[in-house]
Amino acid sequence: MVAGKPALIEGAAPRNVFTRRDHHGDSVLDADVVVIGSGAGGATMAAELAEAGFDVIVLEEGSYYQTRDFTADTSAMVRQLYRDGGVTMAIGNPPILYQEGRAVGGSTVINGGMSWRTPDKVLARWDHEIGLAGIARELEPYFERVERRIHVATMDREVIGNDNLLLKKGADAKGWKVIDNLRNQAHCAGSNRCAFGCPTGAKQSALVSYIPRALHYGARVYADVHVEHITRQGARATGVIGRVAGSGHRITVRAKLVVAACGAIHTPSLLVRSGFRSPSGQLGHNLSMHPNVKVVAIFDEDVTGWKGTHQAFQVREFQDQGLLFAAVNLPPSLLAMSFPHRGAALGELMAQYDRMVLAGMLCEDTATGRVRTIKGRPQAFYQLAAADAANLKRGTVLLSELLFAAGAKRIFMPFHNSAELHGPDEARALLDRDIPASGWEVVTVHMMGTARMGNDRSAAVTSAFGMVHDTERLMVADASLFPTPIGVNPMETIMALSTRAAGYVIDNASKFLS
Amino acid sequence: MTAATPEPAYRHSTTARAVLRSLVPVICPPEAIELGDAIVEHMALTLAGAPAVLRRGFAVGLVAYDLGALPRYARRARSLRGDRAERYYAWWERGPTKVHAQLARGINQLMSLSCYEQPQMMERLGYRPGPWITQVTERRLTVYRDDVRRQAAQILAPDPLRPGVRVKPERS
Repeated sequence: MVAGKPALIEGAAPRNVFTRRDHHGDSVLDADVVVIGSGAGGATMAAELAEAGFDVIVLEEGSYYQTRDFTADTSAMVRQLYRDGGVTMAIGNPPILYQEGRAVGGSTVINGGMSWRTPDKVLARWDHEIGLAGIARELEPYFERVERRIHVATMDREVIGNDNLLLKKGADAKGWKVIDNLRNQAHCAGSNRCAFGCPTGAKQSALVSYIPRALHYGARVYADVHVEHITRQGARATGVIGRVAGSGHRITVRAKLVVAACGAIHTPSLLVRSGFRSPSGQLGHNLSMHPNVKVVAIFDEDVTGWKGTHQAFQVREFQDQGLLFAAVNLPPSLLAMSFPHRGAALGELMAQYDRMVLAGMLCEDTATGRVRTIKGRPQAFYQLAAADAANLKRGTVLLSELLFAAGAKRIFMPFHNSAELHGPDEARALLDRDIPASGWEVVTVHMMGTARMGNDRSAAVTSAFGMVHDTERLMVADASLFPTPIGVNPMETIMALSTRAAGYVIDNASKFLS
Repeated sequence: MTAATPEPAYRHSTTARAVLRSLVPVICPPEAIELGDAIVEHMALTLAGAPAVLRRGFAVGLVAYDLGALPRYARRARSLRGDRAERYYAWWERGPTKVHAQLARGINQLMSLSCYEQPQMMERLGYRPGPWITQVTERRLTVYRDDVRRQAAQILAPDPLRPGVRVKPERS
């Protein structure tokens, strides 16, 4: 048997953080509000309500770690911080690998920290097509508040690595719009370990921002608790029942308001297995994924992309066409597994690791998928649309052109059986080539839309504030709410919506606390 | 108050271990072959965190891979060496069916991951993130000490969403 050696050490938990070691039997807890999930939505909600005086309990399925627990051991971090070891998959053609954080702080612990407001064109669409009148104006102060709290800023110049500088060089050479990325960081140190838990504490994830704030104002956080279902009396949510990891002890929380903030995959499934139905028929539907692909470029010069900040720039030239480009970096092990090479060929390729630039592309999708609940567990189904596949192809060609303009000598594409490219002409020739959907290697970390908000209960699962239609005291506060994909990284939108929803709860406190 | 978080454990079956061990020279670079046992062990560690259905599918696939060599080579895949092991894996890789190709790709991905998680392999590439993290962390806390403290204080400073509203008395 492989030794169950500890990969991470749980630090001494601060007051009001409870882990599996603190449970010695079944327990029953009371609170004003129980929040399920501690990521961008849940942590924000908990902090705002706790400061307003609500008695808040946060339940998180993952464990509680602190900055000092985040090490250079990549695979250990992935096993501990990612749901299912990072190999969760949406079924479709092609299957899409998606990643979710599973730790106190949720996916904010493992994301790249990009902090962008919902684009104006998206908010305009939500206003005109979804009926969320005035949402752009309404969200403005909440964006400002979130940005202040999580310290949204551009990078200090001295920590920008060569991979990002080459991306910018290529964009500049092409005359394409490239902007400084906004990230939730307080002087990012440039360890390039964002995706494995920031080991410097610079990334202002929920773990080091909203969660400490929630605790400071009296919230209680229970880690290692899997919520089995929301309890109810008729249409009214009354609390939750969960199980503690390891021991299986039962934990019951009785609350006056239940907030589901488990992300767009797990929130609809939790609601379904708790017996809630939406008259809209949209619960679990409308899944958007921002399909994401990566290309690897090899340069003659030293890049050493693992030294420097993550995604310092974004290429916005094609944002109106739903495409964003950025330089990312992966440790050797994760990069090696993306290549089809093996044996000596793999060794020769990986020997050039320090001359590689890994560039990623986000595609705003037009297709929607679905989350089904099968034997109590969520399963995502998503079929890449032909139009989105065409956009991915066009985007990889454009991204390759950019990298060649920056001086790349060879580029590897994100689909099976693709020959490596040696120049921009070879890249453009791909536009005439048929690439079957099954050939794409697509990943994502942006799942959205499965409990869409809107005032029309025949078309939306929740109200504009996330209150689930035709239920009482049940709220959603995560990316499930998005009526459409937003085309940029979703964290700040989630936090702003959650702050706005917290304001709604505070404004109606007497109703919720009765 | 500090305690280890146990990692889930997973053990390869005898067949899986033997097949994977035989595939190390096929998939990993020559310089990694001496690390074969550690690579196969690491694969178990990775699988431990994966969904059970994936683990089961992978194990069944390895049995099929092992037995699938019998008609062609009159021996199991685990016993194939050199060119024969290479040809047999390449046949799966080309994929008489999608399932064959997917399994071959899955083995390649998982083994490549575990190969380059070995400290010796990272060292060969000059990839030393530990000392780098230490260096940049110290630099941040030195150069930006005051800003870092200000941000930490800001996290906890009173800033009610609805000024003047407090729904319950302060709890102790």
